[in-house]
Amino acid sequence: MSTFRLPDLGEGLAEAEIVEWHVKVGDHVRVDQPMVSVETAKAVVEVPAPFSGMVTALCGAPGDILPTGAPLIEFDSGTVVGTMPATSEEEFVETVKIGGAHRQELQRTRAVPAARALAKRLGVDLAALQGSGREGLITLDDVLLHNGASCSPGARALAAARPTDGTVEPLRGVRRAMAQSMSLSRDHVAGSTVCDDADIHRWTQRGDYMLRLMRAMICAWRVEPALNAWYDSGTHSRLLVAHIDLAIAVDTPGGLIVPVVRNIESKSPDELRAAILQQKEAAHKRSTPAEDLRDFTLMLSNFGTLAGRYGIPLVVPPAVAILGAGKVREDAVVVAGAVQAHRRMPLSLSFDHRCITGGEACRFLACVITDLEKPD
Amino acid sequence: MVEAIALAHGWEMQHDASVVVIGQDVGANGGVFRATAGLQQRFGKDRVQDTPLAEATIAGMSVGMATHGLRPVAEIQFMGFLYPALDQIVNHMSRMRNRTRGRLTCPVVIRTPHGGGIHAPEHHSESTETLLCHIPGIRVVCPSSPARAYGLLLAAIRDPDPVMFLEPVRLYRAMRQEVTDDGQALPLDACFILREGGDVTLVTWGAMTTETLRAAAELDARGIGAEVIDLATLSPIDIETILASVAKTGRLVIVHEAARNVGVGAEIAALVAEHGLYDLQAPIQRVTGFDTIMPLFKLEHDYIPGVQRIIDAVELTFAG
Repeated sequence: MSTFRLPDLGEGLAEAEIVEWHVKVGDHVRVDQPMVSVETAKAVVEVPAPFSGMVTALCGAPGDILPTGAPLIEFDSGTVVGTMPATSEEEFVETVKIGGAHRQELQRTRAVPAARALAKRLGVDLAALQGSGREGLITLDDVLLHNGASCSPGARALAAARPTDGTVEPLRGVRRAMAQSMSLSRDHVAGSTVCDDADIHRWTQRGDYMLRLMRAMICAWRVEPALNAWYDSGTHSRLLVAHIDLAIAVDTPGGLIVPVVRNIESKSPDELRAAILQQKEAAHKRSTPAEDLRDFTLMLSNFGTLAGRYGIPLVVPPAVAILGAGKVREDAVVVAGAVQAHRRMPLSLSFDHRCITGGEACRFLACVITDLEKPD
Repeated sequence: MVEAIALAHGWEMQHDASVVVIGQDVGANGGVFRATAGLQQRFGKDRVQDTPLAEATIAGMSVGMATHGLRPVAEIQFMGFLYPALDQIVNHMSRMRNRTRGRLTCPVVIRTPHGGGIHAPEHHSESTETLLCHIPGIRVVCPSSPARAYGLLLAAIRDPDPVMFLEPVRLYRAMRQEVTDDGQALPLDACFILREGGDVTLVTWGAMTTETLRAAAELDARGIGAEVIDLATLSPIDIETILASVAKTGRLVIVHEAARNVGVGAEIAALVAEHGLYDLQAPIQRVTGFDTIMPLFKLEHDYIPGVQRIIDAVELTFAG
């Protein structure tokens, strides 16, 4: 940017009046091209351009009187190509939010595109539908079923499978909670299960299975801490928890209740026994406080008290592992080349493979078995 | 905006002795658009070097300087003249870190004007950002206001890897905004939400933010709330912000000045189709330049998407 000042026009005069501009802002002028006519006391004089460039400002209007040496015209003598839009005098004000914001709770109906198109064609209001897909996604079959039609084979199968007798019972309370946490598990966890048996033949007394299982899990945790953790899939991070809050599955007539026994690693056997008993009683009386049903770091299900050898326990996120103990029974075991009858406890360890490696899970399970196989 | 760019240069040169500015006419002349005005007088001819009119040389010099500890900020006068430099950018600059397994890095910023709308001759109105976004190892940034030009240029200079910094030419002097010269950088890799709304998401960048905001204001008068997102960093794309917005609005219109075929808009559409399809209430729309050469100035405003084309596209998302 350069400013050209009103020159002394050779007559020693102090000022001049602008008569007429021959150029305007944005014009490209060449050197010596007449830019402006000014009137001095004696005559009208043409002022030529001192150099080539683009006019960016005129410092006066016709009729204005400028003293010699005052700015007359401003140039941009650079190689600007084209015409720059002039600066708006108004200040540009904006309110900007930097992105990366976390997603809000979804309020809008989520639907498969084809389901959307079909709903529109059939005049079905998507908002009235309960999606059966993952996270409530409305599928083609949801629309068809809602409409009473059954054109898709999947929809036909669903419609046909629904018996006409019986009563509809909405899931409430703990049963509903189970449905929700199991859906969460299905939608998010990469579950994997490994099974083995612990030979408890050497146990001197029949023992308290729960207590022994807990002790074994504590031992295993000290060797392999990865399974006592919370996994955050949003940030791809895991929190290795420095204590164990163990959720224990309790079967009740009302449904599955999973109370938490806190800090099991720092409790004595008597304390643990008391805590388990208290939680079981509370579960059966349906008096477990809400805070005892959440924030566990590891899970245990001793389903073998009922039936079942191995199972595929399901991990409830953000926890990453659950140990299941099946029904203890006498097996034919080969000892030093001979078959003997030993009592064995079948174990099924499920883990979230997004966060836990097979190696970590197997090392954990091996430690559990080693500890369980000790005499007492 | 051009003054904000000069300001960012000045701040960073003052505070980091390794920053140097090179390019044709950046020194005595202060740059073709005056984006480096006054820097040579202030920091001397060693740190603000005029180069010959040779883009390959400018890029090659930048690679050499950067691998030896300097932080060059190079100016290419127009995007249409960038192509001789692509050999250096693709074959050396973008892969130096990878090639040397992290031993050498290439903290280069190449600035170049972007887009048309200033009645310039042929080759002076290009918006070929998609060529650059396809190159792994470089970031591509395009600010849309003086404040973002300042903050993003600082971030680009401080970034340890090469950044292509595309300056929308018709915004250079189009708006006056208070910019605090405090050395505060803005995040690369994040979109900027310029306007919030719940009915349709408009994603755009560079000079097209002006038309898009104008369209959003007109839509607002009709009761349609448009959320306007300035992509700002064109590569890599901050898709999370866009997906969160689409989850909220259910409709997406992408606006860019560049030609449609394989444009950055296509990548955004693909990402939303991959990760946000079930949130969409209507097919994604793109409002773009045409698949032809940017016309000379008589027709350039027919080529650059205008407010009406944006509104038409938004209406399509409600018609389906």
